[in-house]
Amino acid sequence: MLDGFPKDLAVGDLAEGSVTLTVDAAVYPLEAVYGAAYIFIDRCFVLLDRPKAGSVSVTLADKKGAADADALRRMAGEFANELLTQAWRQKIVEENRVILETVTTQALAGAAARPVSSEPSLDDLASFDFTEESFDDPLGIAMSWEEKYKKKTPTEAASEASSEGGASGAKP
Amino acid sequence: MIERRFHRDLYPTAAVDGAVKVFERFARFEVADEGDYRVVRVSAKRPERERKVALELGNYALGLTRQGGLS
Repeated sequence: MLDGFPKDLAVGDLAEGSVTLTVDAAVYPLEAVYGAAYIFIDRCFVLLDRPKAGSVSVTLADKKGAADADALRRMAGEFANELLTQAWRQKIVEENRVILETVTTQALAGAAARPVSSEPSLDDLASFDFTEESFDDPLGIAMSWEEKYKKKTPTEAASEASSEGGASGAKP
Repeated sequence: MIERRFHRDLYPTAAVDGAVKVFERFARFEVADEGDYRVVRVSAKRPERERKVALELGNYALGLTRQGGLS
């Protein structure tokens, strides 16, 4: 028995330098037990067991060897805290699973190519009506750069100059 | 000889066997199925070595279970 723990939940073995905690599987999911146990394997030897249905026992033995009662109590307390952290994290993941899956699906769908059905097919292009007149563009916004600033032939330049001169002559 | 009992609900057979395979150069192993348990018996020349290998085997099997998502 360890101070601060219910005697049926934590049992210390000073000779072995180990402590055994019994965890109710209804309170702490198995994934949380695995997670907490895995975190402790760098400092403890960990062994899981199932003493009866619906419970899991976790035996932690200090890697440094024999431990005193205080060390065992600290080890059990830290494991219990870690177990709670893991269980809580598991619960948050479960609660947010739908949101995570929705966001991920949307991100993947956005990165994927557009569905073929949204693009015009060759048949659509073939049946497209090109006879419609072009829209009015007095400022030449729709003109290409080459078309707008190309070098003019002498004839074009002369006709443009004469038309400008005629326009300026009309001014008062 | 030291005996380690791994409950099948908690340790998949593949994890236990994988751990035994990793440690078989450090000790002799006998593996058997007994009810709900995969039982591993470890024997080595020195008792300390036997104990150490048996304990490390447990950690390794847990690591394989956790990392491989084998459970």
